Amino acid sequence: MIMGINAAGAGTGLLIAAPIVGDILSPVFYKSKQPWVLVADIRHVPIGVPTAYVVMLNDNGDAWQAPLVPRTVYVVKANLSNAVQLITLSNVCTHMQCDVHWDINLNVFLCPCHGGLYSMIGTNIGGPPPQPLFRYQHKLVGTTLYIRNVLTEGK
Amino acid sequence: MADDLERSVLVGKLTRPISGLMATTYRWVDERLGVTDLVHQLLYEAVPRRGAWAYSLGSATLILIVLQIVTGMFLLWTYVPSTTEAWLSLNFIEHHDEFAAIVRGMHLWGAYILFVVIGLHMVRTFVSGSYKKPRELNWIVGVVLFLLVLGLGITGAMLPWDQAAYWTATVVTHVVNYFPIFGTQLQEILRGGPQMGPATLTRFFAIHIWLLPALLVPLIGLHLILLRRHGEHGSWVNYEGVEEETEAERAQRMAHAEAPYPALPSDPGYAVPMDLDDFFPSQVFKDAVVSFGLVLLIFIMAIVIGAPIERAANPAALNYVPTPEWFFLPLDQLLVQFPQAWMIPVGVFIVPGIGTTLLILLPFLDRTPGRQPWRRPEVMVPALFVVLFLVFEALLAVNRLFNL
Repeated sequence: MIMGINAAGAGTGLLIAAPIVGDILSPVFYKSKQPWVLVADIRHVPIGVPTAYVVMLNDNGDAWQAPLVPRTVYVVKANLSNAVQLITLSNVCTHMQCDVHWDINLNVFLCPCHGGLYSMIGTNIGGPPPQPLFRYQHKLVGTTLYIRNVLTEGK
Repeated sequence: MADDLERSVLVGKLTRPISGLMATTYRWVDERLGVTDLVHQLLYEAVPRRGAWAYSLGSATLILIVLQIVTGMFLLWTYVPSTTEAWLSLNFIEHHDEFAAIVRGMHLWGAYILFVVIGLHMVRTFVSGSYKKPRELNWIVGVVLFLLVLGLGITGAMLPWDQAAYWTATVVTHVVNYFPIFGTQLQEILRGGPQMGPATLTRFFAIHIWLLPALLVPLIGLHLILLRRHGEHGSWVNYEGVEEETEAERAQRMAHAEAPYPALPSDPGYAVPMDLDDFFPSQVFKDAVVSFGLVLLIFIMAIVIGAPIERAANPAALNYVPTPEWFFLPLDQLLVQFPQAWMIPVGVFIVPGIGTTLLILLPFLDRTPGRQPWRRPEVMVPALFVVLFLVFEALLAVNRLFNL
């Protein structure tokens, strides 16, 4: 009899818990397809000054069929060892994910939350961030810049 | 015999204004529901006589939590937990619905004042050594209640989905990303996806209005049941002279203990306060006055200042400076002080974790005899340093955020 109570109790608990635990864990398995999104004509981007563009990106996986939210991408034409390199930086701070902005007086990316500092190409130069700014995948069609919400680690 | 006499006095008080059919009806209902016995059990309890104004902090905490539940229910009259409509619904309240704006203001200021009152309640319990034998487990229940209220505060701050709410939610959900091994998965579970989105708001809404209150309410019940089981300890002022008592005097004091005393097992001399008073009406009066004062203060703050709402959440705004809720300033400062790589988990998990563990284990760490604060420097001095540290961290955070 007692065994029966235990078995029925365990069975009831399992039947209720299994779908709920699955529900809780489901976001881990969300997938999202990331399309190429138009940013700008790069002829308008000055060399050596990170320029902010707002693009509509889906970054929340499958939830609600992937709504678009505005995100800032910093397009940087950096003069590195006598060659101009094009970098598309995510402005999401790698510390606590606040928005960083380019400070034209200090010539750094500054995070207002906890004072993270990054160079023009996103490398760490101060504050608590544990790694460089992430970079969006980008491609050029002629002089038109497209990015995709697939992030690669910065250098 | 004394109980029967009190009971008849109470029945008299409860039925005095009514007669005839009303009195007959009351007796009919009372025979079936036992209303008089219930009221008798709730109101007739011995409590310590001295320092009773300080003991009203517990009932004030309860009243303020009830206020949060009631105002929260009626915020749901209007509020929509969706990333596209949450801000619109609250912005509507702020500009077109004066009474709903007062309700929202009372929910916000009720929360702020609840943190202060809960803090004072904990300080009172700590200073008077009330967590000692036999009340160790009730202290732990109290700490868990405090943590649940902090959780309610931070999840509530996310719900307006204005700029302040959005960035609070971003930082709080990113903190778990630094958890070893499962960090990324934990963050995705909390956010309902890899980044902030509609599923983030619905999750925290559910946590704020159902999950945490469903844990909070039964634990409050347990806190009160244990309080009634042990009796109110009060504070050391109610036990002055217990060390000089003779065995005979102590035995006589125990013999005259009223329910719910004696609170056994207890340290010798601390089972029963030296002088007792009735919970009703003398303590209830003080509780009622303090609670009225606090609710009046909340009402005034709700009307004079109200609950602000910032611009709608915008993940692409570059000129916005996020600032944490004031009760999370010390933790925010730890984020700055523990920079980079392996240091971050130390600042977000290990330091607050050690603090919480010490708070929970306090009744077992404090081996000092006696209850007077000046006779327990081993716990009073470290606690003073912890409080000063928290205030110092909060001041550093304010200085950092407002000089940016």
